[in-house]
Amino acid sequence: MAELQSVSFSTREEVDFVVIGSGSAGGIIAKELATAGHSVVVLEQGPYLQASDFKHDEWGYEHNYDLTWSARKGNVQTFRKNENEEAEPREAVLRYAHNVGGSSVHYSGNFWRLRPIDFNEASVRGTIPGTNFVDWPITYEDLEPYYTKVDWEIGVSGLQGPWDPYRSRDYPCPPMPIKGSDVLLERAAKSLGLNPYPAPVAILSAPHNGRPGCIHCGYCNGYGCEVNAKSSSMVAMIPLALASGNCELRTMATVSRINTNDGGRVNEVVYFDSNGVEQAQKTRAAVVCANGAETPRLLLMSSSNIFPDGLANSSGSVGQNLMFNGYSSVTGLFDEPVNAWKSIPATRVVHDFYELDPSLGFYGGGGIDGRHPSAGTPLKFALGAHDLFGGPNWGSEFKDSLAFQFSHCAAFDGHTTSLPLSSNNVTLDPTYKDSFGRPAIRCTYMDHPDDLSTMKWFKDKSIELMEAAGANRISGSYPESGQTGNVHLLGTCRMGSDPANSVINADHRAHDVPNLFTCDGSSLVTSSRGQPTMTIMALAFRAADLINEAARRNEI
Amino acid sequence: MGKDFITRRAFLGSVKSSVGKSIILLSSSAIVAACRDSKFARAAGEGFVNLNETEASEFEAIAGRILPSTTSPGAKEAGVVYFIDNVLDDSRGAEFDVLKKGLQELRASASQKFNSPSFFSLNEAQQDSLLRQAESTAFFSTMRYLVIAGMFALPEYGGNKDSVGYDLMGFDDRHSWLSPYGYYDADYLEKGE
Repeated sequence: MAELQSVSFSTREEVDFVVIGSGSAGGIIAKELATAGHSVVVLEQGPYLQASDFKHDEWGYEHNYDLTWSARKGNVQTFRKNENEEAEPREAVLRYAHNVGGSSVHYSGNFWRLRPIDFNEASVRGTIPGTNFVDWPITYEDLEPYYTKVDWEIGVSGLQGPWDPYRSRDYPCPPMPIKGSDVLLERAAKSLGLNPYPAPVAILSAPHNGRPGCIHCGYCNGYGCEVNAKSSSMVAMIPLALASGNCELRTMATVSRINTNDGGRVNEVVYFDSNGVEQAQKTRAAVVCANGAETPRLLLMSSSNIFPDGLANSSGSVGQNLMFNGYSSVTGLFDEPVNAWKSIPATRVVHDFYELDPSLGFYGGGGIDGRHPSAGTPLKFALGAHDLFGGPNWGSEFKDSLAFQFSHCAAFDGHTTSLPLSSNNVTLDPTYKDSFGRPAIRCTYMDHPDDLSTMKWFKDKSIELMEAAGANRISGSYPESGQTGNVHLLGTCRMGSDPANSVINADHRAHDVPNLFTCDGSSLVTSSRGQPTMTIMALAFRAADLINEAARRNEI
Repeated sequence: MGKDFITRRAFLGSVKSSVGKSIILLSSSAIVAACRDSKFARAAGEGFVNLNETEASEFEAIAGRILPSTTSPGAKEAGVVYFIDNVLDDSRGAEFDVLKKGLQELRASASQKFNSPSFFSLNEAQQDSLLRQAESTAFFSTMRYLVIAGMFALPEYGGNKDSVGYDLMGFDDRHSWLSPYGYYDADYLEKGE
């Protein structure tokens, strides 16, 4: 773990900002506020790991949840498909990191910008009955400068594609070298008249900002980068926040409540410190960046006489509109070694289906990229291989099939939209509690029929591509009976102009509480096409700019 | 993330048993250190940590049928049973319970069908016939899960000895690679696409 070199504040000393969470958004906001001269305390529930702490440890990370919260670490969650069911406890439903840098440490780093249509799709296409599908209160033009800031300050590799929206500056790093799985995708897509192009990724293809380029070890998705080539907020932002001399990072600090004064303003943040002792940090304002599951839980847990339904929840929208993104996966077997298990997850993307034709009769869109079906890791492949191509799942024939398939396979994965629904949400479980005595996160989720139709469409299109690629055997799937968990946690405290159906305004300030801000996946109004983190980070740079401006005007 | 595999794993989670315990923060290095200790203990003839002798012999025999030794090393050569011994600590207590109960039933079947006191002393065909009967049980799926894990997890956990699991897959756990990585990207570069 790293040394924490920073200023230290007393909990009784009122700081300018407490930032709750140090992930994709929290790390950026802490850095931006602290370097602007504000005193900042960051409360992070996990440890401060470094590149040297990370290993190619599939068993530890994927099966013991070493990098993520889970029931075995005292963080039980419950799941049900609809409100008529009793939610059952699970090892992990809404999966997220518990370390400095949050899930940006272990993500795949697929950094697709949103396009102008994402921000006003409800107006252009029309709203969808039974959903909360609405426009964003901001436009692509509002966010573009901050996407560019992410490109350069966080570090993104890529090449402007044929469908990409306007950008004010080129990528800082060229695209990553193409992989065999993406050669197969690119050739197949071109043969169908499509326009594949290099995938933009938050992984450095060349040295940038004092960090080295990727060495293509193959352990991105689910793993921390061992050379700091992956652009997490842990490596790109936190060191700058600490170097400002204005930011104290408290690790192993688990927030249980945000308190307000009689005037309804935030005045302290209550948390359990690394010894499990309850502390309360006095503050002039709070910025909650705890992720799309933890942010709504914290607001719901912070109910009081003034805020009986939870903090900032006069709309009833806190925890609602949870969006996972949909997915499909199609795997093909090829004659020659593809070796898609080497290097980063995806190097090409097909974005010709960003918006599906409305005449199909359902709403949706997404992208397709080439990958290895098990994120390139051997254990996950061995456990799942039988489900792909059948045959015995133990014995010598099984063993032989593993030996061939692992290197000779490629996957074309679809990443798709989810609609915001009141019935998909995060609430406080009435029965189960975590090890701190906090109500467990209860997730209720069933994909909208349009979302399922979209996933099926992408599965079918990917099969078509896989056939064009010349695969000998093809296996495709999508979660037909609905998803039961995910790592994309979006929409649960969304931004909007109307306080009746949103939690924060376009400046990320809570409609109900003037000195409370939230920014993370929960802020998203629509789901993106399956790669939300670029947008979460751009929103964070923008939110920090607006908070700094408000502070200069003395309007916090 | 590999979203499609989450639910499969969730099935195996020992959720209720771990709720309410104080926060356990075993870093991976701590776990690996513990595994290394147990490996030294075994080398010094101190035997298994969690398994008794019978369980170790039986689990090794079962593992040997799930990933048999053929022209290439199988679960036995990979030392999968040592992996199982290492990871069946209290955080996987529910899985251990499933294994213990299932093993009793398997041994009962061995006795009933083949008049044998143990599974490991049966011949391969007899062993396979008993395992085929158990295929749909939680015992078999837990066993299969741990055997595969022991074959393909980092060698530090006690299995995958000398990386024989990685070799079987054609996987090489190297720290870095250079493009081209396989046949198709090499061809692509050669043709200047």
